[in-house]
Amino acid sequence: MKLRRHSGRAHDGGPDAALVADLQAAIGRDRVRNDSAERALLSRDASVFDDGVAGPICFPGSTAHVQAVVRIAVRHGRAVVPRGAGTGLAGGAIPLGAPVVVSLTRMNRILEIDHDARVVWVEPGVVNLDLTKHLQPLGFHFAPDPSSQQVCTLGGNLANNSGGPHCLAYGITNTHIIAAEVVLPDGEVAMLGGLDAEPLGYDLRGAFVGGEGTLGIATRIAARITPTAPAVRTLLMSFADVRDAANTVSAVIAAGIVPAAMEVMDQRITRAVEHYVHAGYPTDAAAVLLAEVDGLHDGVDIDAQAIAAIGREQGATEVRLARDDNERMLLWKGRKTAFGAIAQIAPDYYLHDTVVPRAKLAEVLAQTYDIAERHGVIVMNVFHAGDGNLHPLLIFDAREPGVLERVHAAGAEIVKASLAAGGVLSGEHGIGVEKQAYMTLLFTDDDLDHQNRLRKSFDPDCRANPGKVLPSGHSCADIQLLTAVPQGMWV
Amino acid sequence: MDLGIDADELNTCVQCGLCLSACPTFRVTGDETRSPRGRIALMRHVQLRDAPLTPEIVQSFETCVQCRGCEPACPSGVQYGRLIEQTRTTLARTHRSTPRWLRLAYIPLARPRLLRAGSVAIAVAQRLHLVPTRLGLSVRIPLRQQPIPASGSDVYLFTGCVMDAWQRDVHLATQRVIEAAGFGVTPTLAQAPCCGALHAHAGLTDHTRRMAHKMMAALRPDMPILVDSAGCAAAMKDYGHLLGTPEAGAFSARVFDVQQWLAQHIDRFPKVAPLDLRVAVLDPCHLRHVQKVHLDTRVVLRPFVRELVELDDDGLCCGAGGAYSALEPALAGQIRARKVGSIDRARPDVVASANPGCSMHLGAAGVPTLHPMQLIAQALPGRRPLD
Repeated sequence: MKLRRHSGRAHDGGPDAALVADLQAAIGRDRVRNDSAERALLSRDASVFDDGVAGPICFPGSTAHVQAVVRIAVRHGRAVVPRGAGTGLAGGAIPLGAPVVVSLTRMNRILEIDHDARVVWVEPGVVNLDLTKHLQPLGFHFAPDPSSQQVCTLGGNLANNSGGPHCLAYGITNTHIIAAEVVLPDGEVAMLGGLDAEPLGYDLRGAFVGGEGTLGIATRIAARITPTAPAVRTLLMSFADVRDAANTVSAVIAAGIVPAAMEVMDQRITRAVEHYVHAGYPTDAAAVLLAEVDGLHDGVDIDAQAIAAIGREQGATEVRLARDDNERMLLWKGRKTAFGAIAQIAPDYYLHDTVVPRAKLAEVLAQTYDIAERHGVIVMNVFHAGDGNLHPLLIFDAREPGVLERVHAAGAEIVKASLAAGGVLSGEHGIGVEKQAYMTLLFTDDDLDHQNRLRKSFDPDCRANPGKVLPSGHSCADIQLLTAVPQGMWV
Repeated sequence: MDLGIDADELNTCVQCGLCLSACPTFRVTGDETRSPRGRIALMRHVQLRDAPLTPEIVQSFETCVQCRGCEPACPSGVQYGRLIEQTRTTLARTHRSTPRWLRLAYIPLARPRLLRAGSVAIAVAQRLHLVPTRLGLSVRIPLRQQPIPASGSDVYLFTGCVMDAWQRDVHLATQRVIEAAGFGVTPTLAQAPCCGALHAHAGLTDHTRRMAHKMMAALRPDMPILVDSAGCAAAMKDYGHLLGTPEAGAFSARVFDVQQWLAQHIDRFPKVAPLDLRVAVLDPCHLRHVQKVHLDTRVVLRPFVRELVELDDDGLCCGAGGAYSALEPALAGQIRARKVGSIDRARPDVVASANPGCSMHLGAAGVPTLHPMQLIAQALPGRRPLD
């Protein structure tokens, strides 16, 4: 009787036998996968790009493992692409040309909390929200809170210099990473930054944060821990016009108030999230503004009243204060799951991440609706209004012929409109493969050339996440160096 | 290969990945092939792109605990349970999974006398120390079953298969508690020997349908059916969908988790001194993610114990998963280790779990676990000491 399933059956080992054998010898058999199922899944992240091709996948457990993997990949002439939870929306973790994929999900230990330095040392696979929950009983949290914080990892946050609703007051990831141990593209290990207030020399840590895996792989991260404010007030304001919401945001900042967060959702988004969370979002408003202030008890009430008054001046039809923590959490859950919730309307979405000057918010928003209408696609707007970071979502059904072209055309116009208003390409999602082509709209040849020099000083042979960020004309001709798609792949 | 999944249902997933942290197998492996997003992508590869059904893909589907923790985490409302159940059904039908020896093992579940005989054999083996501890069988199976006589016909108590053979003491406690609220109880016993939940998990949905028909024919149509096993109640509440008939829908509407039912009648209990215990509530997945009535457990339990504490893992599965802990012991053990960590941080005297599988799985790791009904029965007057 055959009790063991699959025994004796040939496994689908995939190509790259020699490379895989070396990797397995170095870090262990159970830490290397190379079958077609694994390769297919790790060819994708949360973006719309489906032309990635993964090589062997490694699950290192230590800095030494990562170092070994990188050195073996170099020896075999292969590139290396790091990956966290794969929730990126710009294709930063999409492997191009069958590189070795380094999944850091098993390096997920919280190593040490240093109360004196107010720093926590973590491995890159620690989930953002897990870290905050771990710190909560101590009265601290990790401030950057991307909408995907329940799943995204610290390593991914570092690589993308991620933002989040509460980065308005607390600053984005770069502010909160003070040191990182990294494995450089040649396999050398270096410590960038440090716990001292003023580390010596150039701020290479600053260069590395936001590098999207093109400068190396962080294996230990020193993150700042932020004391949690004793009081929080969350306001929900409804508007009959999305421009009124945008103007309220500008007016609040102009009045000298720095809320912890200010987020706007338009009607389509609000309806989709309300259907999922049942948080009491007004589905008849053209836009809602979620504003949060935190600090000392008396201060937050004063700020909340001031924000409410400004909202009413700007035409808010309703101003509501979240009654308790439960309502507050539900409102935030709605905001943070907005991207996923749109699947109730259409199965696919494509979004941009441009940042425009706050004063231009209303104007650029109006343009996004016009542009989408001209191209016959639906746009939904949900954005970090406080720092002018737009997230126009173009939603569609990829099964409809020709729709992808229209979506990309509309996306390109939205980007151009944002840049024309004095904005930049990406607030927090990174450039990845998605926005590469737009880099020339924002930067001159000279700019791009200097960025490439920085990159090449870390990675002279273009082995680290090649084909990303810098447009190919301005990067080392990295794609040509890559191995062609191996035989036997079915994706 | 056509897995038989509805194309629209398969398309609702946008691959955002917000489910990953809610998936116990991804949590312990960090591997996309062990995640809901990955499994759905593989379903698409197989059904829509005609990718070959490799052993690795079958394994990806088989390692799913089917806890359905990903469903509440999904903002797109993907009905993952339906997707994996259909996939497992197709795999079983085409003999890609659920091998013959496993199918044989499911036969006694619907045959009470055969199950009883087998259980006695295991009970004897246990007393002769012939059952290896690595099998994780944490309950001491009784050699002789205590009688469980009917006390009236206000409600049914569904007794089921393995639970009745191995843990009738839980049913007896449940019956006492229901009686204390003033209801006469009819245990279903051989009239409705098995709900078919384990079969449905293994993709043997035809068996489940047969059992559903049998149970619906056997039970009176005017009595509520109370269930003290979260997995069984979830399966019986799904008969309406499984059979697709109005009768099945009406039957499912009469099925209640026992805590869910008693929460409506909490004022009928006598006032008693609470047990001097700090109790951590462990939510069985099919109570929390599928039936979504886990809060009722707290309502019912609160008056009877000194202190109720919550676990800090957002209801992540414990790895029991019906027969999962026996079929995938390595993964089930890793998943359980996470849960035990969470329990340790809550520092309870005892854990309350309303599902027999979870209790046994945790018991095997040395965690003292009782059914909420056992705790309440303890607190009620005329109590018998727990063994």
